Parts: sequence; C-alpha cells; structure tokens
Amino acid sequence: MSTAVKTQKLTMVQAITDAMATMMREHDDVLVLGEDVGKNGGVFRATDGLEAEFGDKRVIDTPLAESGIIGTSIGLAMNGFRPIAEMQFLGFIYPAFNQIMTHASRIRSRTLGHFTVPMVIRAPFGAGVRAPEIHSDSVEALFTHMPGIKVVIPSNAYDAKGLLIASIEDPDPVLFLEPMRCYRSHKLEVPEEKYTVEIGKGARLQEGEDVTLIAWGAMVDVIKKAAKEIEEEEGVKCDVLDLRTLYPMDRDLISESVQKTGRAVIVHEAPGTGGVGNDVVSLINDTSFLHMRSPIKRVTGHDTPVPMCAIEDDYLPDANRVKHAIMETIRF
Amino acid sequence: MNEVKLHDIGEGITEGEITHFHVSPGDSVKIDQPLVEVQTDKVTAELPSPVAGTVKEILASEGDVVTVGTTIILIEKEGSTTETPSNKETGENRPKQDSPKEKKEQSSNAVQTMTRLTRRVLAAPYTRKIARENQVDIEQVNGSGPGGRVTEEDVYQYMNGGQIQTDAESVSEEASTTPVPQAVHPKVEASEIPFKGRRKQIAQKMTQSLYTIPHVSHFDEVDLTNLLDLKKSLKDADPDGSKGMNVSLAAFFVKAIQLAMRDYPIFNAKLDEENEVIRLEGEVNMGLATDADDGLIVPVVKNVEQKSIATINREMKELIQKAKTNKLKPSDMKGGTFTISNVGPLGSTGATPIINHPEVGLMAFHKTKKMPVVINDEIVIRSIMNVSMTFDHRVADGATAVAFTNRFMHYIENPAAMTLELI
Repeated sequence: MSTAVKTQKLTMVQAITDAMATMMREHDDVLVLGEDVGKNGGVFRATDGLEAEFGDKRVIDTPLAESGIIGTSIGLAMNGFRPIAEMQFLGFIYPAFNQIMTHASRIRSRTLGHFTVPMVIRAPFGAGVRAPEIHSDSVEALFTHMPGIKVVIPSNAYDAKGLLIASIEDPDPVLFLEPMRCYRSHKLEVPEEKYTVEIGKGARLQEGEDVTLIAWGAMVDVIKKAAKEIEEEEGVKCDVLDLRTLYPMDRDLISESVQKTGRAVIVHEAPGTGGVGNDVVSLINDTSFLHMRSPIKRVTGHDTPVPMCAIEDDYLPDANRVKHAIMETIRF
Repeated sequence: MNEVKLHDIGEGITEGEITHFHVSPGDSVKIDQPLVEVQTDKVTAELPSPVAGTVKEILASEGDVVTVGTTIILIEKEGSTTETPSNKETGENRPKQDSPKEKKEQSSNAVQTMTRLTRRVLAAPYTRKIARENQVDIEQVNGSGPGGRVTEEDVYQYMNGGQIQTDAESVSEEASTTPVPQAVHPKVEASEIPFKGRRKQIAQKMTQSLYTIPHVSHFDEVDLTNLLDLKKSLKDADPDGSKGMNVSLAAFFVKAIQLAMRDYPIFNAKLDEENEVIRLEGEVNMGLATDADDGLIVPVVKNVEQKSIATINREMKELIQKAKTNKLKPSDMKGGTFTISNVGPLGSTGATPIINHPEVGLMAFHKTKKMPVVINDEIVIRSIMNVSMTFDHRVADGATAVAFTNRFMHYIENPAAMTLELI
C-alpha cells in the first residue's frame, strides 16, 4: 500500500516556505504580500527565495501599513486571487484588526455567499524567543471569537506545510499563526510533494488513560515534556492532544479523549482570562460533564503583558507547572 | 377536642421517641400538667397539657418514634358540650391516621424526604454517572473522600452491600476461623445496637466536624502545684463547702481559657465560610464535654467572662448533674463558643480531640501526675497535667495556638496572676 514518498528534513519555517512555493507553482493566483517579504525574504526568512522564483508581481513588498496589507488582500481575494498576507508579528496585527473584523470575516454572509475571501494571514506569535514588547503577544482568542475566520496553529514542520496548503485552498479567510519558538526548534521529514492536513482536526500525540493534556503551538512541546516526565516520576499516563486548529475546534477528539480519562489539563501561553482554554473547558462541559472525575485545570500565562525577556520564562507555562496541575487533577 | 402534637422543642428537631405516658385515657388533666415524656436526639422533654380537661385518646405507644406535627394525645376540654360533632370529626379522621406502625413508617419516610432536601452530596460527575448507571441513589451513599465527598469506590462498595457491612463481614470471618478456648469464657452473644438517637447525632456531628475542619492538635504539660495549693487553702477555709469555696479545678481552667482569649480572641470565633468571614464572638460560652449514660453531651456555661470562678463552678456542677440525669433543656446546650473536655478523672494522658463544629478550638485536660521536674537546677516533685489543644487550622495557625495555650498555662501555673485579671 505504501508508495515511496520523497521527503526532506525541514524546520518549521522551511516547511512554511515550501508550502507557499508549492502552491505558487501550482496556481498563478496565489500571491504573497507583506513588509520585507520580497528581496529581504521576510523577517524570519519565511518567504526566502520566493521573489527570485516568482517575481515581484507575485511576491509584493508593501509599505509599513498592516491595515493596507489586509485591505488589499481582501480586495484581491474577492477578485479571484488567493493572497497570503504576512504580519511581521501577531502583535502588529492591531492596525489591521478593523479590516479583519468588519470585512474579511463577514463578506461571505454580507453577500449571501456570492463572494468569499480566500485569503491567509500568516503571523508569527508567542513568547520565549526574547523578543521585545508587543512582538510576543499570544492573542489568538481575539480571533476565535470572530465568526467567519478560521484560526490554525501548527506545532511542527509536517503539520505546518499540510495545514498551510489546506489554508490556502480554503475558500474563507484563515488566520495562520506560527509559533516563533517552533520555527527552528526541530526538523522533521516533510514530503516534497503537495499534501494537506485537514483544518479542524486535532492530533493525538500520545495515548494515555489517566489525564488528557491539551495544547497548541509552542505549548505542545511543553505538554509532551510534562507527559514524559510525569510518567517516569508518578506512572501517570497522559493522552496528549495538539489541537492544531482553534476554530473550528476538534470537538470529537477532545470529548473522546476526556471521556476516556475523566481528567483534563489545558495549557496555553496566552493569559487565562478570556483565553481559548476557557472554550475548551466549555466544550468538555457540554460534551462530557458526567465523565469528569475532577475539575478541569488550566495552566496559562498570567494576566499581564508578556514581560521583558529577563523574566519571560516566569511568565510562560513550563513542564513543572503542567506536572503540578496534572497531579492536582489526579489527587483531587 | 384538643390535639396535643409533638412540636419542635428546640433547634429544629424532626422526631422524638415517646418514652413514657404520664396519663391514660379517662384521666382528667390540668393546664400545664405533664402528659408525655419524649426523648429527642438532644434532650428528654415533657409535653404539658395545653388545656384542662379529660384525656380522650392516646394515639401512640411508648417506644414509638413520632415526627414533629404528629398528634399524640386527644384531650376533651373541660366544659365542652360539643362532644358529638368533635367525636364524629375525629372518627372521620381516625381511619386516615392509620395504625401506629404504619404511622411510624410514614414518619420515617417524611424524615427521609427532609434529609434528602437538605443534604448536599459532594461527588464528581463521573461518580454520579456510575451511580446513575447502576441505579444507586447517590444521596444514600456515605462519602469517604476529602470533605466527605462520595468517591467511585464508595458507590461500588454501596452496591456490594454497604461500606460498613463489608468490614464487619471480614472481621467475623476472621473471628470464626480463629480457635477460641470455649470453656474458659462464656460465649458472648452477637447482637445489634440500634444506631440512632444520641449516638447517631454524635456520629453525624463528629463526621461533619472532622471532614470540614482541618484539625491540628498540640500537647503541653502544665504545672498544677500552685493551683492545687490554692484549691486546698480555699477548701481548708470552707471545710463543709457552705461558703462555696470548694471549687473544682475545671472552673479555674474555664476562667483561665477565657482570660487567655482576651489576648487571642481568634479561638473564641466561628468560621462562616459562606459569607467568607471569621466571626469573633462577643461572649465566651464554654461547652463542657460531658460523659452521660447515653453518650457525649455538651452543656454550655454562658458568659463566663462576666462570672466569678465560684459562679462558674456552681453552674458547671448544675449542668453536669442535669446532663447525667438527662434533664438538660435545649437552651442549656445552645450557643457554645469553645469547648473543654476534662478527661483527667477518667485517666488519659493525651488525645487528639475533635472540635465541636463550628467552633474553632477545643482543649482537653488529662490526668494529673506527681512527677520529678527540674526547677532552678533542682529536682522537685510537682503535679503535672497534660493538656491537648485542638484548633481549626483554617482559622488559626500553630504559633498562635501555642501562644494561646502558653497564656492559659501562665494563669494556671500562677493563680495569683489570674486574680489580678478578674473584675
């Protein structure tokens, strides 16, 4: 059954470049636009080499104006293109928030389905790379609250390529969030050919019976580490889930897992108040209340801006905090 | 026709056992004449006649457990001329009232319904699911988890015939396999003791206290020599006790605790979790854990802060006497703010007492022994008593509790210092 697939070892950021190149080769209507994405190859080199291959008519350096980038992309998308807009950091998206909020997300319903906005907004995000203020914000919850936008967050190179291709093919706007900490943290075998990872489907990274760990983005590595250590230290076996898409959320995977384990720990680096973790708690409450053996725990960033880099590590959830929460649910 | 009903004779009782009827049908009774004696969880009470007249009918038997609101006796009022209609009325009512036995069943049902409405069961949703799937009424399951929470194991044990039974079975099995030399000891008949009334009340209170309060106990030794000397000199001055100077040690303990509370009022408090406040009490009402025939009972000496040691002593004696003869009124047991347990006369040297919920502390006094102790580098013989102080660690911390105990000991070891503090 298995046909030999040619793979190459890529970092996540290389897989993202590869996804865009793959789609641009296949479809003339796929464009890239953003600040310094052309000659410079993007602040994180994610668009490196694309201008050389596809020219400056398809890889467009824009002025420093996020609102303009998104507004232009919306217009292009409504007129037959498939733009990929790059925000240098998710924390810089606020000037474009109005465009996303009032236009991108609701063109489909406003035109009763006559027009859609098949665009992707790529944005690096998250703390842990010693970036200055604003650059490290993890504000995914602002966008999961907005009907009409899908929010996708890969945690590794393989998923990144498959999810980005699926996002470019998606007829609706997708916010594609790239955890900076994962850009070059590890390499994976990534198929050279085109493939997709379905939007809205999470992944189970490890099977376990005792407690369900749920995270996305950079926190996936944290829960994997916590799961490994807690098994060695306490013999607790964790079901480890990477949500991969925050909106729409993988209802089936989460409820199937917590109904098996009866316990859940949700980990995200955004502040707890108003965080997406609360939506996971609600989902579990709606689908699996009677299966719960203990209250659901959340391990999150604190309700403060991401602090300066000297104390950044105190802000971010780490394996110890996660292990502590796991034992609290076990010993409840 | 007047109906004499069991009314709530204090603190929201729901039922009582009829222990004795003072009257029979046909007897004429005066107003306020005792008609029937009822034993509740807390007290023995006599129900007085509300009217003067003739006892028409007695609707229960001695030994019956009746709920509040149940009619026990019918009395025809003196000078009543409307005998026929009222007779007719009761005649109509009678068949509905059922036989005493059925009534008893009804009343126990009524109690159950009440309990079900008021008891809030703690259980995780998964435990509830198990109970639901196995058609176990989770409100009937005793919780063994933290805070009295019903656990999955509790539900499974309940399904297998109850938590307590299982233990008893395994014990009896073990016992049957152990060879017992039969001729030496007469065989003890296996029997059952009904778990109700006072015993059940005690059990419920203790369980509630231990499950809700994180108990911490510490122990110390207090030198009673000076206090015993004082007690003796008082007694010598009043050999027949006619001047009320023959004072028990416990009365001094009560006073010393109250004085210590002036510096550490946190031990004369109640934790109101619902409103998130610790309520410091204005008055010091000292509960006296008393061993009565039916079990532990705690009468309360009120306002000890306003009373002399002699008055405290006299009231304590009266209360303990009432407790031993089952004559305590509900008001005698209300309003306690701290409890002492004087187990010394029974002979223990240490304990970890359970707090009288919702109070914050309890101090127990143990056996006094003459012991060699070192004072000023010399070995002398002193009378030493162990004290055990249990406190609610949610409300107070160990250091405060030790400081409180030290202050108490200061007064006991220096009775003269105590007199300086008195009004």
